[in-house]
Amino acid sequence: MTALTVAGLSAREVGRRRTALLLVISLPLWFYLVRRDLTGQSTRMLTLGIAWAVSTLTLFVVNAARGVDPRLRLSGASVAGIIGGRLIAMSGFGLLLAGGYLILVGVDQDIDRFWAIGLMMGITALIAAPFGSLVGALLPRELEGALALLSVCAVQMLADPAGTIAKFMPFWSAREIGTYAVDGGGTDLLWRGLAHAGAVWLLCTGGTLAVFAYRLRLARYPEPVLERA
Amino acid sequence: MTPRPWLHGFLDLCLLAMLRDQPDYGYGLAQRLAAAGVADIPGGTLYPALLRLEQQGLASPSWAPSESGPRRKYYAITPAGLDTLHAQAEEWRGFRDGVDSLIGERVR
Amino acid sequence: MSDWPLRFEAELVRLGVQPERARQLGAETTAQAGEHAADPDRFFGPAHLYARHLVAELQSPTAAVPSLPGPVMLRLAGVSKRYRRREVFSGVDLTVRGGEVAAIVGANGCGKSTLLRICAGLTRPTGGDIRRARRVGFVPQDGGTAGWLTAEEHFTLFGAAAGMAPRKARSTGTHLASRLAWRPGHRQPVQELSGGTRQKLNLVLGELHGPDLLLLDEPYQGFDQGSYLDFWRQVREWRDAGRAVVVVTHLLHELENVDHVLDLGAHGGGDR
Repeated sequence: MTALTVAGLSAREVGRRRTALLLVISLPLWFYLVRRDLTGQSTRMLTLGIAWAVSTLTLFVVNAARGVDPRLRLSGASVAGIIGGRLIAMSGFGLLLAGGYLILVGVDQDIDRFWAIGLMMGITALIAAPFGSLVGALLPRELEGALALLSVCAVQMLADPAGTIAKFMPFWSAREIGTYAVDGGGTDLLWRGLAHAGAVWLLCTGGTLAVFAYRLRLARYPEPVLERA
Repeated sequence: MTPRPWLHGFLDLCLLAMLRDQPDYGYGLAQRLAAAGVADIPGGTLYPALLRLEQQGLASPSWAPSESGPRRKYYAITPAGLDTLHAQAEEWRGFRDGVDSLIGERVR
Repeated sequence: MSDWPLRFEAELVRLGVQPERARQLGAETTAQAGEHAADPDRFFGPAHLYARHLVAELQSPTAAVPSLPGPVMLRLAGVSKRYRRREVFSGVDLTVRGGEVAAIVGANGCGKSTLLRICAGLTRPTGGDIRRARRVGFVPQDGGTAGWLTAEEHFTLFGAAAGMAPRKARSTGTHLASRLAWRPGHRQPVQELSGGTRQKLNLVLGELHGPDLLLLDEPYQGFDQGSYLDFWRQVREWRDAGRAVVVVTHLLHELENVDHVLDLGAHGGGDR
């Protein structure tokens, strides 16, 4: 109940930030256009662009709600209701964004396993929301959070995909599933990607819930003994 | 003249007491208060107090024509008003005796 | 004939009086001035001020008998707070019952807001014992709202947090706003509101779920004179309705309106 209301209102809130929204929506496009001639490269870049866009937007939404959240708690909302609602809204936004770009890729590129591209983009969007939320929970200031996200995305792009570092990056699953979709690898790539994605999602969602459960905890005081003047 | 802040707490008491003696309208009550030497009460204090008494069921209004000018709103005390009057009169006596004992001068 | 009655009625309506009742009061008030053969403006003063005065008078209970204080809503005993080695305050005692208003005063940086947050449960005390009613409303000094949402959306959001249906939350919010002489616009996001209006929203949000204890941190920042009076009238109404109010303030001339004054002072502690 609370979660759905929070989700609906978060969506409206995001919808009203026209300029920011426009920039966020267009960001993955630039990533895509740079290497449009290479199918694998461009779709993976596009996916990372979606990841960055969704996580950054979530970060800002989480930070904007910093003043409201404790008051919602005092009014009786649960941490799961508040944070869950926001994650639902941002995941929904991410899926919409991914869906839009999937259509673009479908029109613009020739890919055998098109559904796997959709899977890659969708999963990445779903991870990006709790990831942005977790970064926002850990780094309270927007600038710090944005810089952290930038660092993660940069390392993710530049790291050797076969190396150890890449495997510890939150969006490594996109590379695995992307390779399966474009370069025609075996299904083990797909399963590895899905497993990695599931683990990262659980880690980020659990982490963000845990941090906010701590940050938004209320001291419980016993009620006064009933006595009249 | 009693300064206003003092009167404020006991205005309702004074009004109820006057209404117990006879129903009256605003202007008449103001005149009686002044004649008793209690206060020259401004309309902005008197009329809200009357409305409040009405609203709380301590006084009931009725309209009556006047010889000159518009009809008037007369107030009569209700049983609930009488109860409140008794309770407040008791309080007033206690308060008055207390103040008297402090200033060391008994009312004869 | 002046337009005094019209302005009087309009102000009454703005203060939340039903139009029908406002018309009636307007006619009566004109007649009352007539009894004294006086012009209403001369007799009662400016229309809007008298309207405020009348509404406040009608809402206060009948004189001298002070209503009995209600059950204890908040009790602090020996509460202290320290950040690392710096002691903010210690040995703070305060008891507030239903139907009472307590003011927390003291110089800047003496921990007034910290103490209020401790009362709310948002900050933990270092020591001491606290007992508190379960339903509590907290109004921060500023912030506490989402800039891109409208006032009505805030009502829905905070109502949902308290388990209220959206429609009920909105109508309750709108009603509470009218008591602060504010009519929320439908489309305007909160960040476009003036500071004073935002604080009115904050007050309404703190009260929306009908708490027994209201914790207010200098909630009148940016209020104009009229809103300021509305605010204190509202505090008295809460008190008369049997709620307990704790308000952080630095305005000493309001202290005659309160039942307890807690002066955190330079060294902290002690009920005056």
